[in-house]
Amino acid sequence: MTILLILSIPLLACGLTAILRSRQWMEVIHLASAALSFLSAVLLAGEVLRQGTVSIGNGFLYADQLSALTALLTAFVFLLCAPYAVGYLRREEADQRLAPSSDTHGTDALPKLRMYYTLTPLFVFCMFLVVVANNLGVMWIAVESTTLASIFLVTFYGRPTSLEAAWKYAMIGSVGLSMALFGTVLTYYSARMALGGDSVSALNWSVLVLQAPHFDKGVMRLAFIFILLGFGTKAGMAPMHTWKPDAYSEAPIPIATLMATAVLNCALYALARFHVLTVLCLGPAFASNLLILFGLLSVGVAVPFILVQRSSRRLLAYSSIDNGGIMVLGLGFGGAFGALAMLLHMTYHTVTKPLLFFCVGNAQQHTKSDSLRAAAGGLIHALPITAPMLMLGALAVTGTPPFGLFQSEFMVLRAGFAGPYMGAAVLLVVFLVAIFCGFFHQISQIVLGPPRGVPPEPICLWKTAPVIVLSILVIVSGFWLPAPLYQLVDGAARILAVHP
Amino acid sequence: MHFWQDPQFGNRMITLMAALLLVLQIMMVTQRWLITSIRAFALQSFLLACIATTIAYYNNAPHIYAAAALMLVVKVILLPVHFERLARHIEIHQEIEPLVNAPISVITAGLLTLMAYVVAESFHRPDEPLGPASLGHNTLAVAIAIFLIGFFMMLNRRKALSQVLALLSLENGIFLAAISLTYGMPMIVEVGIFFDVLVGGVVLAILVHQIRDTFDSMDVSRLTRLKG
Repeated sequence: MTILLILSIPLLACGLTAILRSRQWMEVIHLASAALSFLSAVLLAGEVLRQGTVSIGNGFLYADQLSALTALLTAFVFLLCAPYAVGYLRREEADQRLAPSSDTHGTDALPKLRMYYTLTPLFVFCMFLVVVANNLGVMWIAVESTTLASIFLVTFYGRPTSLEAAWKYAMIGSVGLSMALFGTVLTYYSARMALGGDSVSALNWSVLVLQAPHFDKGVMRLAFIFILLGFGTKAGMAPMHTWKPDAYSEAPIPIATLMATAVLNCALYALARFHVLTVLCLGPAFASNLLILFGLLSVGVAVPFILVQRSSRRLLAYSSIDNGGIMVLGLGFGGAFGALAMLLHMTYHTVTKPLLFFCVGNAQQHTKSDSLRAAAGGLIHALPITAPMLMLGALAVTGTPPFGLFQSEFMVLRAGFAGPYMGAAVLLVVFLVAIFCGFFHQISQIVLGPPRGVPPEPICLWKTAPVIVLSILVIVSGFWLPAPLYQLVDGAARILAVHP
Repeated sequence: MHFWQDPQFGNRMITLMAALLLVLQIMMVTQRWLITSIRAFALQSFLLACIATTIAYYNNAPHIYAAAALMLVVKVILLPVHFERLARHIEIHQEIEPLVNAPISVITAGLLTLMAYVVAESFHRPDEPLGPASLGHNTLAVAIAIFLIGFFMMLNRRKALSQVLALLSLENGIFLAAISLTYGMPMIVEVGIFFDVLVGGVVLAILVHQIRDTFDSMDVSRLTRLKG
């Protein structure tokens, strides 16, 4: 029942806001749906911890520790984005950025606001569907739907550049996902001999995983290549990452946050599900080599772009390409340790990245510019709360001890050095050091420096409270994870760490 | 026994239609007129629906009839009509300027077809027992060729609408693979996929419209402001 609850809440919120006329009610419903979604994700996680797996509808919807963890992280980001979005959009409205052509603001912004408050829960619904769908075809549909639900959130501001970003996002995303569909078809083909007859349950992951050792090996090999290219595009792995900086810099901040954390997690979740089947069928070496290649490429591509970046949001996008690459490397290095490292990295990244996005959003609304050069430093005088938190987030996301991402990166490296992938692990260390220097240099450039004579901003509670909550969580999670959450991560890692 | 009940006859019909599918795809590569491209795409989808019906008939698989019907409604009627109206509305029925000229495009398409046959050959196991009207590896090779040529077409086009057409024809290749390899995936998946294609097509068409309004052109090579 909890699975149905988690799906129906965002869908209901989407339907309700579509017919409402008042802005206050849209905000109230948005906040309530975020809170209830998080609550039901927690309930689902509790149920999974008690029972192992939860499924309804004859195995149509299915949740194990891996799904529950991903759903929980998605709901967490949604929970924090909702109050931030209220403050962010009110400010955008006051700055006349939602209805630039008219001078009587207030009512004209309503269509844009309704679009945001309607499409965001739909977007979140698609992500929940990705993680609870047992049928791999339905999972593919849900991943594709996240793209469709978010295209018009990327074109939110209607600028020429946002159209360009949305076009790249739509085209690269669709081509990538058509490859993933081809991979899914091939997986089904390779499974068909082992499974015997056709039935609706023949594409269910929980059925396939039992038969995976008997799949056709040649077909599965080709299938995994297509799957990796397809879901890798959605996760923004290099060299299919080019849509990512554009989309992140054009979408509203809360949407960019959801895309950088929750969508990345969902795409990697889909990849990990197929990875389990591939390892069971072909053994770990084939998939690992490919994953390590793409993972290293993603981390490597991020290095030069972070070093010379001019826009703060694109900086964050490359940081998210880099972190996605680290997660894929964790999966590629393999074994129980690699899988655990990947999932811990995913968890810590989901806590840390929203902090950076929110701080950058606050800074951007203050300076009216996304450019790192135009901000010209001194942010710490104008935004006395946001600016130090931005520094904190920068330290955390680049993997500085004692923050969580340091631990998980360290574990990824340990998994790399323990296995036969010494060279890849050494390269990763070099890239990580370079990224640390570049990222920290860029962020300190806007935060530190003499005051620019701009009066400090009045503190907006909607936009500041999520930042404070997140920074507390970033610090606390470096030292302590709640025991049930750790159990969930550990259980999920056991699902991923399979032996043929 | 009538000749149409002979599985061999069905097999030949499917191979023939698959070959026509490939011919249409290569024709779209060289086609410069947008409206003709849209109609070629509709015809290609229609042939695909026919292949699906044939497979459903010879294998007694009723759920493939439903897939064929969906294909007929979405890809033969709804999307082409929508696109044609859009093309007339924004008055770009003149030529599509490809990046690579027609002769080189055709040669590329030929090479891609060759590559598809090489890939498909590796799946061919002659010792495997064949079912009624089982599809030769010909059909798989055609499916992969359509996929690859669609990919090339996307890179080769500058107009937004023709990129969308290339994407949809690329997906035709995937559907051909899906029905020919697996006699249709489980029904729920097919319904979902068609819903997705429909919504995706409409969303992309709206985007095309917005690009036209903003840039006064549908030339996606002008979308080059975001860098780095």
